[in-house]
Amino acid sequence: MVSLLRQQKIRNILLQALFAGIVLLVVIGGWRNAQHALSSQNVVSGFGFLHKSTGWDVNFSLLPASPNDPYWWFFVIGIVNTLFLGILGLTLATFIGGLVGLFRTSSNDLLQLLGRIYVDFFRNIPLILQVFFWYSLVTNLPAPRNAMEFGPLTLSNRGVYMPALNVGGWHVAGAAVTLLLALALPLWLRTTRRLASPPEQRGALVWGVLGGGLLLAAAILLLGRAPGAALIDPPRLQGLNMRGGLRVSPEFTALLVAIGIYGGAYIGEIVRGGFKAVGKGQTEAAHSLGLSPWQSFSRIRLPLALRAMLPILANQYIWLIKATTLGIAVGFTDFFMIVAVTINQSGQTLEAIAILMVGFLAINLSIAAIFNRINRAIALKGNQLRS
Amino acid sequence: MADTHPANVPAVQINGMNKFYGHFHALKNIQLTVHRGEKVVVCGPSGSGKSTMIRCINRLEEHNSGQITVLGTELNDDVASIDGIRREVGMVFQHFNLFPHMTVLENCVLAPMLVRKTPRAQAEAAAMRYLEKVRIPEQAQKYPGQLSGGQQQRVAIARSLCMEPEILLFDEPTSALDPEMISEVLDVMVHLATEGRTMICVTHEMGFARRVADRVIFMDAGEIVEEAPPETFFQSPSSERTKQFLSQVLGH
Ligand SMILES: Nc1ncnc2c1ncn2[C@@H]1O[C@H](COP(=O)(O)OP(=O)(O)OP(=O)(O)O)[C@@H](O)[C@H]1O
Ligand SMILES: [Mg+2]
Repeated sequence: MVSLLRQQKIRNILLQALFAGIVLLVVIGGWRNAQHALSSQNVVSGFGFLHKSTGWDVNFSLLPASPNDPYWWFFVIGIVNTLFLGILGLTLATFIGGLVGLFRTSSNDLLQLLGRIYVDFFRNIPLILQVFFWYSLVTNLPAPRNAMEFGPLTLSNRGVYMPALNVGGWHVAGAAVTLLLALALPLWLRTTRRLASPPEQRGALVWGVLGGGLLLAAAILLLGRAPGAALIDPPRLQGLNMRGGLRVSPEFTALLVAIGIYGGAYIGEIVRGGFKAVGKGQTEAAHSLGLSPWQSFSRIRLPLALRAMLPILANQYIWLIKATTLGIAVGFTDFFMIVAVTINQSGQTLEAIAILMVGFLAINLSIAAIFNRINRAIALKGNQLRS
Repeated sequence: MADTHPANVPAVQINGMNKFYGHFHALKNIQLTVHRGEKVVVCGPSGSGKSTMIRCINRLEEHNSGQITVLGTELNDDVASIDGIRREVGMVFQHFNLFPHMTVLENCVLAPMLVRKTPRAQAEAAAMRYLEKVRIPEQAQKYPGQLSGGQQQRVAIARSLCMEPEILLFDEPTSALDPEMISEVLDVMVHLATEGRTMICVTHEMGFARRVADRVIFMDAGEIVEEAPPETFFQSPSSERTKQFLSQVLGH
């Protein structure tokens, strides 16, 4: 028995089992306590409420929503809203961060200074203050009658209006997915080693997939076009309000801008760190071989910097997705706000919080899993200490 | 090697060249001519400016005054002439500086394909020839991190050769290697020396200098103190500083 305990493997398994048992006991105990307390307050516990209609409405939804819809559908709406805000916010933050990081690593003193001021300023103001700032900025814009125009954008205190497509929602979604695939698939084709041909010889295939995807997306849009209407529907003033076009609410605008700008400051630092991690030797080797500055950037420094950045970037993305919960501060119906209102309206606190936790876990574990895959696929092979 | 330069043009000509790091005078009035096909070994104590001097030849460092002319083209701020010179001058570094995200073969074909616009098939065939020359064709599909130091340095030599440079610069190519790997790299370099390419090697391998050098240059404190054929250099050095240095590296 004693010698059995000494074996590393068996000891590990026993420790794991012990730990899992304790966790299970705590959870079951807590659950029974809670049920007992709730039933003494006449709250029916369980997930039956998911099929009841909510009786309240959401102010932003990509999916059809009405007060008659059941709770489970509202949770779906909340997750979709969170993902929508999160993905757009992360995209904006990544774009800004890439730019800021390049500024900070450039050899130009002015750009370096601008990058530093940007990072120092936006990183050191709490995100919630920035959300409030952008929200009050948007809601204090002139009324639609005196709206400001920025190219195709019309800014007013009702939100930001932009020209919309006269196309049904499902077709827009389908075209968006097609577009995404048309951009992602060529990237994969350019780098994967799963195909027999070497990457450089896949030029025709890559361009074919890209072009075909773009055409398909355009075709889907044209198919879903509302009959008899113009394809593009610009916003225009009618009476006291704007008609037509696509309205982006002040809440969504404020959150998107805040997450993009704040996240951009952090991602800028990650990008800078990534480039600093690239050995000077590799850059010198590239130069001594006669590669141009652009070639040594795109073939050597960027690919190596990306590898250094990705793990930290994944953390930052997970953090920023969680930041969408600030939606509740300005009244944007993200997942967290829907859960909060649900608790308030139905009293199903524990169940709603459990759903919230599972939802965020699922989102963030997916992000982590995607990044782990990418990391593994591009990890440098072999021992890196030597050069 | 495209032989576009007349034979009487020196490979490298350095005239009254000075280099400063801030107030520190790193290279003092350097005067050096290396003829085409010549093998020159540069030695000297640490910090004497050997690396700085050969890095000025392909403009990894900028000189502050004087002239450097490589194969008839003067090195100045003109980007086109720098690019032209870098195409003709290969460099092998102390720490190999291979690209760790590319296979050995990709390391070798990258510059020929991007800079010389060589088609892939042709670039790969040439790369395999040079990998055979440095005796590691079987490692072509591996990544640098999967090779020993000596193997990595031989890949780095092959990578430079793939650009078919007129001139090869070596900056202490064996000093980061374990003793048992030094000879495999030196063997390759000795073999290269038989091929007519101009070679300028910073190294403390005096055996190598004896075997292949046409001339040995000794530097100290940013100056070229002595230059002589190897027999003269090792048997009857003229300067006190050279004698002292030789007694240290030769170990008696
Ligand atoms: N980037 C730099 N900034 C400031 N000083 C430098 C820089 N590079 C080199 N130096 C100085 O210039 C002098 C010459 O350096 P160099 O690297 O050329 O010496 P070396 O002869 O190659 O020495 P070693 O044998 O140690 O490689 C040294 O005193 C060094 O401290
Ligand atoms: Mg040196």
